[in-house]
Amino acid sequence: MTTLVNGEIGETATRPATTRGQGDWVVVAGQESRDLWLSGRGPLLLFAFSVLLSVFTYLAATNRAINFLEQREAVDQTLQIAIAVGVLVTLLVSADAISGERERGTLESLLLAPVSRRAIVIGKLVAALTLWFAAFVVSVPYVWVLGHGVSIVRTALLLGLGVGTLLAVGLAAFGLLISALCSSNKVSLAISFFLLLAFFAPSQLPGGLPKGWFGDVLGKISPVGSGLHYSTAVLVHGHGWTRDLVYLISPLVLAVLASAALLILSERIVRLTAGGER
Amino acid sequence: MKTRRGLAIAALAVLAAFAAAGETPAAAQSANGIEVTVDQPRITAVIGDRITIGAHVTNSGSTASDPLIAHLNVASLTGTYVDLEDWTAAPTQHVQPVDAHATTALSWEIQAVNAGRFDVYVAVLPNGLTSSGSGPAVASSPVEVTVAGKRTLNAGGSLPVVIAVPLILGGAALAARLRLRRR
Amino acid sequence: MAKTSLEARRLTKRFGSRTAVDGVTFTAEPSEIVGLLGPNGAGKTTTIRLLTTVLTPTSGEFSVAGVPSTQPNEIRRRVGVLPESAGYPAHQTGREYLTYFARLFGMNRSESSRAASRLLEEMDLQDRASSPLSTYSRGMRQRLGIARAMVNDPDVVFLDEPTLGLDPAGQRQVLRNVREIAADRGATVILSTHTLTEVEEVCNRVLILGEGRVLVSGTVAEVTSAVAAPRTATLRVPDSEVGVARQILAGLPGLTIAASGERPDLLRIRRSGRDGMNTVLQALLAADVTVLSFEVEGTRLHDAYLALTGAAPEESSE
Repeated sequence: MTTLVNGEIGETATRPATTRGQGDWVVVAGQESRDLWLSGRGPLLLFAFSVLLSVFTYLAATNRAINFLEQREAVDQTLQIAIAVGVLVTLLVSADAISGERERGTLESLLLAPVSRRAIVIGKLVAALTLWFAAFVVSVPYVWVLGHGVSIVRTALLLGLGVGTLLAVGLAAFGLLISALCSSNKVSLAISFFLLLAFFAPSQLPGGLPKGWFGDVLGKISPVGSGLHYSTAVLVHGHGWTRDLVYLISPLVLAVLASAALLILSERIVRLTAGGER
Repeated sequence: MKTRRGLAIAALAVLAAFAAAGETPAAAQSANGIEVTVDQPRITAVIGDRITIGAHVTNSGSTASDPLIAHLNVASLTGTYVDLEDWTAAPTQHVQPVDAHATTALSWEIQAVNAGRFDVYVAVLPNGLTSSGSGPAVASSPVEVTVAGKRTLNAGGSLPVVIAVPLILGGAALAARLRLRRR
Repeated sequence: MAKTSLEARRLTKRFGSRTAVDGVTFTAEPSEIVGLLGPNGAGKTTTIRLLTTVLTPTSGEFSVAGVPSTQPNEIRRRVGVLPESAGYPAHQTGREYLTYFARLFGMNRSESSRAASRLLEEMDLQDRASSPLSTYSRGMRQRLGIARAMVNDPDVVFLDEPTLGLDPAGQRQVLRNVREIAADRGATVILSTHTLTEVEEVCNRVLILGEGRVLVSGTVAEVTSAVAAPRTATLRVPDSEVGVARQILAGLPGLTIAASGERPDLLRIRRSGRDGMNTVLQALLAADVTVLSFEVEGTRLHDAYLALTGAAPEESSE
């Protein structure tokens, strides 16, 4: 390699090629996932999640009066719990991913490695998503128990995987963005949690969404609310897969925009101090 | 000889009239020549089964019909509350004008979500520029659908899952903690 | 062949209206140990962060191991860094930690595992390789941090306060490691520290920073002689003549006097200027003050530092 040093052109020793480049995110994802799962955090979260599902499933199963329709609704509610809890923990993990490392003092060492900032965020995103996929896998036996008698297991699982993954990717990317931009971990977690509540709120209004165009728009804007609406429409109301596709627009937009913003801005926002160098 | 032939023809005509009024799915007729028939008189199913209801709309008139609306209905014969939307998400179909002496086939996929006995039938209404909102309506004869109930969810059946899954995951969480402590 | 392994030219970093590093220029050669001195806020850590690409300079340029600052990823491949306030993941073991970073530097699994084992042995951490980092003492963590800084066999190693919080034995061990890094591996070491004795002990050259600027640079001897450091002397007079002595000394320009605690007859004198102490003795003798003892202390790096920065260097704490 030739360089200009002290106004003279000279040669410097070339390092042995130990580059990987494109696979760096795999290394980051692998270590982050190990930290998440082998430290006990991941299994503990899943355990708590499974207890919640077990209680719900057992209550549904002991309800002698439950009819076919209510059983379908029970499957839908199980799916909603799985999606809600799965994306919640994914969001919280990603909201801690960068701001938490800053506070723990471990980010600087990572920034000193010859790994692009993009590879770092992709690796962390993938690691956070393992929580969602694990939550989905845990929900499978419960969906089977509740749904096999009413022949909607396959539909429910496909819906859960599709809608849940879309939401998980969007919210995880969003959480990472917030984490990179926030100066403290507490602020990052608070903002992420608040945003998730805001996304959930329209679907939880007493009496449902307001009638008219406003309610319609509100229902479609919230990615979580509209994603769950789509799931209910197909699973409970028997709508075709394509009839309510408009409700998948906002989850898709969130996933695409948040991921794109994260990848494009990563070099600028993944820094030692939040908000860049001021 | 002529009298005997005439009587035979008259008898045949009477028999034909009786046959037309018999129990096989009869075409319901309207004044404008539209008739609607269903393909089968009865269906037996178990709750949750998906059933296809087939029907034919025939225009026995001499001119093409107006655009039509064909609407599927489900009526309980045993007093069970029926919400049509639970049985099918698309009970109403818009039918293009049927040519004179032509037939259009329609079908609905429904899911038997209640147990009991039900009549499922099709009503056809005109939906042309001038005929929309006015009659006459033509209804098919009903398909008698008998749906048997089935208990598919019980506490005993769910126990293996509700106990085993938390146990396995709790064990994994504990193992992870112990592994950390042992280091 | 260019030999300079580190070159910084007018390196400047501003954070809003505050200038943390202002026109820093210096070079370093292979196998050289360069001490970076300065009080808190002088810009030592910021300078290191600029040279290691963690921060982007506002202006100026630099090259590390011949790689210009426009290729930050290449620079990171060639440097090893022990940051001042490095944190360590509590649940990872020492081996996992080093293996991870070896992989980030491009080694495959088996190479990284071998590198981790070798470094753990070099840093005398092999017995604790499988222990979680939360159980490591501060000294062990510092040695692990140095090991991580060496994982890629760097051309330039930056150590920011590597002996901070260590006991004397730990400090000795770290300094031994620093010498070995430079001597055995031929790497350049940039050692940022508050402890002047460390600098005097291991550094070939020293840079003293103040308010973001290089105040002086050179070998220890060059720096101490280049700075007109205040001389200090300890004067002992009879108790009955302390008052007279003080009166005479007070009349001399550029002189400060401090009593030595419980001993009022011992006066500690500080005077700027190379030859200042001769006139002090002359003035006392001319006034017939009985001088029982007069000891002039030799100019030390400590004195040069004080003269330049106006701040006493901090001793290592914890």
